[in-house]
Amino acid sequence: MISKIVKSGLTRRTFLKSTAVTAMSAGLPAASLAAGNTIRIGFLAPLTGAVAAWGKPGLDGCQIWAERVNAAGGIKLGDGSYDVEFVSYDNEYDPAKARTGATKLIREDGVSFIMMLGGDTWPGVQPVADKTGMLFSTLLPSDLSPDTNTLIAPAEVHPIYNVTGVEWLAENKPELKTAVMCAQDDALGLPSVATYLAAFEAAGIEMLDAPLLFDPATTDFAPVVTRLISKSPDIVCLDTCYSDYVHPIAEQLFQQGFTGQIISCTADFYDQMIAKTSEEFMEGFVFQFPDFDDPALNGDNINFTDPNGFYEAFNTRHPGQWGAVSWEYASIMDLWKAAAEKAGSASPDAVAAAMKEGKGKHAFGDADWWGTELFGIDNALVGDWPVVAIESGKARIKDFRSIPDWYAKHGDLLIKHMQAYDQMWNQRS
Amino acid sequence: MPKFLIWIAALAALIALPHGLSFSQQEILVFLTINVLLVASYRLLTLTGEWSLGHVVIMGVGAYSSALLTKKLGVYVPISMLLGGVIAALIAVLLSFPLFRMKGFYFLIGSFAAGEIIRLLWKRFRDPFGGAKGIKGIDPMPDFSVGFYQFDFFEPTSYYYFAGIIVAVCLWILWRIEKSPVGLTFHAVHWQDKLAQASGVNVRAYRTLAFAIASGFAGISGALLAHYIGTINPNAFDIDLMVYVLTWAIVGGTATFYGPILGCVVLTVINEIVLRELGLEQMRPLIYGAIMILSILFLPNGLESIVQKFTKRRAAEGAPERRPAE
Repeated sequence: MISKIVKSGLTRRTFLKSTAVTAMSAGLPAASLAAGNTIRIGFLAPLTGAVAAWGKPGLDGCQIWAERVNAAGGIKLGDGSYDVEFVSYDNEYDPAKARTGATKLIREDGVSFIMMLGGDTWPGVQPVADKTGMLFSTLLPSDLSPDTNTLIAPAEVHPIYNVTGVEWLAENKPELKTAVMCAQDDALGLPSVATYLAAFEAAGIEMLDAPLLFDPATTDFAPVVTRLISKSPDIVCLDTCYSDYVHPIAEQLFQQGFTGQIISCTADFYDQMIAKTSEEFMEGFVFQFPDFDDPALNGDNINFTDPNGFYEAFNTRHPGQWGAVSWEYASIMDLWKAAAEKAGSASPDAVAAAMKEGKGKHAFGDADWWGTELFGIDNALVGDWPVVAIESGKARIKDFRSIPDWYAKHGDLLIKHMQAYDQMWNQRS
Repeated sequence: MPKFLIWIAALAALIALPHGLSFSQQEILVFLTINVLLVASYRLLTLTGEWSLGHVVIMGVGAYSSALLTKKLGVYVPISMLLGGVIAALIAVLLSFPLFRMKGFYFLIGSFAAGEIIRLLWKRFRDPFGGAKGIKGIDPMPDFSVGFYQFDFFEPTSYYYFAGIIVAVCLWILWRIEKSPVGLTFHAVHWQDKLAQASGVNVRAYRTLAFAIASGFAGISGALLAHYIGTINPNAFDIDLMVYVLTWAIVGGTATFYGPILGCVVLTVINEIVLRELGLEQMRPLIYGAIMILSILFLPNGLESIVQKFTKRRAAEGAPERRPAE
């Protein structure tokens, strides 16, 4: 088989054939993309290491999603109902391991769809995606470019939704006039820096200093925070820092006596942050990821199935582990399931085509496939996004804001700052 | 069994090996082959008694150099790989001026600082290094045919054969260096540096030579990696990977040529294949750490000591019985 593949050159057809043969020779129950009565979905994200907080809770959420879907009769395709099973591979946020994982999931496990965190790991996987035509999803639309035809960003348009938090702050706390920002100097931090700069400029909030970029290996944040607040800003922006950075930075801001406004993309495990600082200090902390027991998520505009029940099940099984990504991969699966049922097939081509027909059912409301200007391809699903603030120790949605509306007014600013940080799709090497 | 037959059997096993593995294991085999060269080159540096924390960054120098030579100047990939190694060696020579004013622990810390400076430069200068996101879309090794075998370098088996040949040649060169008078001088610089100096050996020059040679081969391993996965970034060459290299060397042992290679192979197989297959994917850091501690406690001379015990016993059994002089 291998020599045959080698002689003929690898094509999508030989890939799928080899997948089926491997699965059968290994005696696996799933010998094709949807054999037996189970559809396998790949989960290729960091489950250990520094970035695990954006992988592991997502896998835990997916397991709950699968149990609920399977209990409700599974996924109904043209030829019957199928249960869903997740197959995970820990890529440790390493492109080489991500490539190995993608190969395993496609060629050995016979998955129909692969969800990734993206970022540094996507370029390692892209050749595999190109060769196989497998449908992949990312949480980071900055992975998108005109040549990523099989990659979609259907859950979040990181970092563009960060503009909603700044816009809300400017409207509701007009007394805040100045800001500073810090971020880790990496692929996740830089596009977010550009976005926040655009959002602050659009809101008329002055940046007191250039964004302070720290190395991802930083462990002592005392000097970072000292420098950050030396000009007495009204707002400290924590950009899209990993939770391993957000926590010590917040702790340092508390210890060094900062009493102003904090805004951040995420506040994963914010209960621990409150425990390390105080409820008063964390009051009004603005970020972008709600708890799913929020009453605002029971509105008719929400497409996520039973968010309150999902949150309760997650917290019962994984107490204290709820984070930004706990619901995101599951929400992607909602979209994938709807598209597969519409197409009547789990084939990557058919699902992708069905998914992009008309408006997309995003978790926070109907949304459009968008992104040509920023990403060179309309593969990001963009609509409303919540602004969340901590009130009396609990995260509460303050408002839903439209990202396309903001972009229609201030898109030129976003492009300007993205270009300054070499983050436009045509600038990425 | 004659020695050459053992070598032929080993060669046949290495050629057949990928065909007995799953697709993902073939991918792991490619990375393992590249890491074997990395850890073997690291051992050459340790011969002079110096342990560096910048070796993985030097590997990155080779990777970045080769990637940029192909992307910006259109250099043919195999040539750029070789040049990647040469540039890594030249950077090592430059670094040796400040670094070899230090010894032991100070050299260790100095090498870490030097490595971090290089990584920061990659991040700071988006042109040409791509900043924090690094370089992607690196040219792959062009496919070619040798008549009986078509090399398709997207396929891990093809790349394993290609990388395997390069790594084998590099290991042979490293072996010859160690067994040459230069290699013996490296040992002397480590164990009897004052005596060596008194005998007219330029200790610093030999340390620099070992550092440059080791870095050159590390650079080639980086270039092999870059042209396989098609992307590199500064975080791929950070202290985490360096800790792995140190672990392979310590667990394997550095007294023999094969010790670090053995450590690399055994620990990679345990970490990437055995623990994943056992469904202990998320427990791997914990179990890996426990294995390391246990091996240091119970095998202080490394895995190579087991092989040495076995081969010594075999040698003793095969030796003619000594009789008292008649």
